[in-house]
Amino acid sequence: MNFSTPPFPANATPHTTAFSAPAILSGSALVKTYGSSTALAGMDISIRAGESVAIMGASGSGKTTLLHTLAGITSPDSGRVDFQSPSGSVDVTAMNERDRSRLRREAFGFVFQQGLLIPELTAIENVALPLMLAGYPRREAEGRAQHWLAALGLAGMEARRIGELSGGQAQRVAIARAQVTGATVVFADEPTGALDSATSEDVLNALLGSTVGQGHALVIVTHDDAVAARCSRVIHLRDGRVLPSAQTAGSTGRAVSA
Amino acid sequence: MTATITTTPPMASASRSRAPVARLTWLLARPSAQSAALLVLPGLAFAVTTALVLIVLGGGMMFSRWTLDDNADATVYQMLSVLALVLLLVPLASLGGAAARLSARRRDDRLATLRLLGATPGTVTQMTVLESTAIAVLGSLVGIVLYLIAMPFVGLIPFAGEAIGAGALWVGPGVLLIVVVAVAALAAISAAIGLRRVTISPLGVRTRQTAPKMHWTRIVVGVLAIIGAYALLGSMSGIADAALTIAVLGTGIGIGIAVLNLIGPWALGIAAKLSLRRAKSAAQLIAARGILESPKAAWRQVSGVAMTSFIAVVAGTGIAVVSSLTGDYEEDTMLLLADIRTGIIITVVTSFLMVACSVGVNQAANILDRRDLYVSLDRLGMPREVIEKFRSRTVMSPLRFVTIGSALVGGVLVFPLVGISFIVAPASLIVIAGCLIGGVFLVWLALRATGPVLTRVLREPERL
Repeated sequence: MNFSTPPFPANATPHTTAFSAPAILSGSALVKTYGSSTALAGMDISIRAGESVAIMGASGSGKTTLLHTLAGITSPDSGRVDFQSPSGSVDVTAMNERDRSRLRREAFGFVFQQGLLIPELTAIENVALPLMLAGYPRREAEGRAQHWLAALGLAGMEARRIGELSGGQAQRVAIARAQVTGATVVFADEPTGALDSATSEDVLNALLGSTVGQGHALVIVTHDDAVAARCSRVIHLRDGRVLPSAQTAGSTGRAVSA
Repeated sequence: MTATITTTPPMASASRSRAPVARLTWLLARPSAQSAALLVLPGLAFAVTTALVLIVLGGGMMFSRWTLDDNADATVYQMLSVLALVLLLVPLASLGGAAARLSARRRDDRLATLRLLGATPGTVTQMTVLESTAIAVLGSLVGIVLYLIAMPFVGLIPFAGEAIGAGALWVGPGVLLIVVVAVAALAAISAAIGLRRVTISPLGVRTRQTAPKMHWTRIVVGVLAIIGAYALLGSMSGIADAALTIAVLGTGIGIGIAVLNLIGPWALGIAAKLSLRRAKSAAQLIAARGILESPKAAWRQVSGVAMTSFIAVVAGTGIAVVSSLTGDYEEDTMLLLADIRTGIIITVVTSFLMVACSVGVNQAANILDRRDLYVSLDRLGMPREVIEKFRSRTVMSPLRFVTIGSALVGGVLVFPLVGISFIVAPASLIVIAGCLIGGVFLVWLALRATGPVLTRVLREPERL
């Protein structure tokens, strides 16, 4: 595995080559139901390397289910998800739980609304964890984690426990954790949902800079128009389907396509 | 479908918005509002606690009813039954406490949120105390049924040459009522104490900021207490009065138990710091940090085993002493010696049962408490084996530490009573080794038994 190094443009903008790049992750005819409610109703979507895709929609529209399905957390009832790994195309939906777990660990990164960091570990230990799981010696893992924390403006806070950090700082730790293994796709579920607007801006800069700025893809579920406006593409969902662009025009003014 | 709101909803009047505590508690406790497991687990733990308390009390009361006319050794039986009750008290309190904490902790987060929304500290405390007490009462009623079912089987155990019979273990309606009230009170007090944290600092609970600190003065107090207990037990040979002998023995053992609980968490914290420095893998790192987060909680998970290790040494030497007395004794004396052996085995087995229940309850509570963490680790791709490994290490490392430490404290206190020859006698060592291996195996088994809870949390995180 080729782990990335932290330096990235401070205020990265969406990658301009994204629209011509091949799809790194694609879902086709995805269907997922929970009891009588349909979360995904035959959805098609493709994510290209170097682009940031905002997924928007009302609560229950299928945003998080789509994110979890693309990331291999949830299996769809039907349809398939393909991921272009460095060694070739893999059908995520055909993988068993163990292989999907490995894929998430090695190829994907995650940033959740609450960060979901391990509260009793320090900032540096949280970031080093994915590398340790990949078999890196602790010293080396913490060395790389330290670089990432510094690059995200958290130098000097390595030994702090998560409860001792502010919401924005904790999210930057989560971003460092998501990128320390060099994940080519990062999934973010309302990463700025619990933050004030200024902190939200900082976190978004860090997230875009460390993903899109490095040529990686970012899939971000958000309710925030300001966040979506910073992404290269916006997808609106309703009742498990992607809304045609005409119905969403004016919401963010960004390109809309699946 | 879209709806246009033409009028704003009327504001609730102050009197209507002030829902009675009981109604609000019922609303939040309904099975539809939360997983049934959160109510069933503590209820089951209270049921097992109650059943074991009643069986132990029934046995104790049976011996207390014996007179010298029934059995010439009635006083000896009574003395030994009191000693067994003292030894079983701590594992029993530990199990009861685990049940009460589980019942109260389940509500920490939800009540912290209620507090943040403006519920008064009084309302929050009343709700938790009410809910925990209700679960405890229901659990103890189930426990009474378990006790009634177990009575005929426990009644098969022979004492003084014949089976004691189910009827001998009947404690009577008065004691049943007292036990139910005591279990309910234990739950209410635990809930009220546990909730102090929530009512004082709701944000601290939501963000889990506070990491309790331990102080080195504990070890100084502990060592002084052990020296005192050693001297006290050493002076026993000069005491002729039976009641005074029991009092001194009880005090000595009580001090030993107290010291274990005083020093245990502190020493465990030191050991975890050393493990943290040496940690190479993710599982080792998380386990060490997990113990350091609250050495007291880590200790509590295995403190029951500390008691069984302690009891194992006392029981082992007891058996060795009894075995050494198999000379040309009268039939009555031989019967008494056999009964002492039976009593020791019952005490050890009962304490093991309590420990197994206690570990199971604590482990299930731990998974439910930290479900967000387990779910996030699973989503990040942490292999299930690694999660199981650090979960296991968080319990088994303290366990190793606890079994050895408590066996040593037990040995130190038993030494002035029986001397080194009985402590290292083959019969003694067999019982001690058997108890320790059995205890560790039971904890491991209880840990494995909670695996399905983790599976369910990972499969349906939103339902728990």
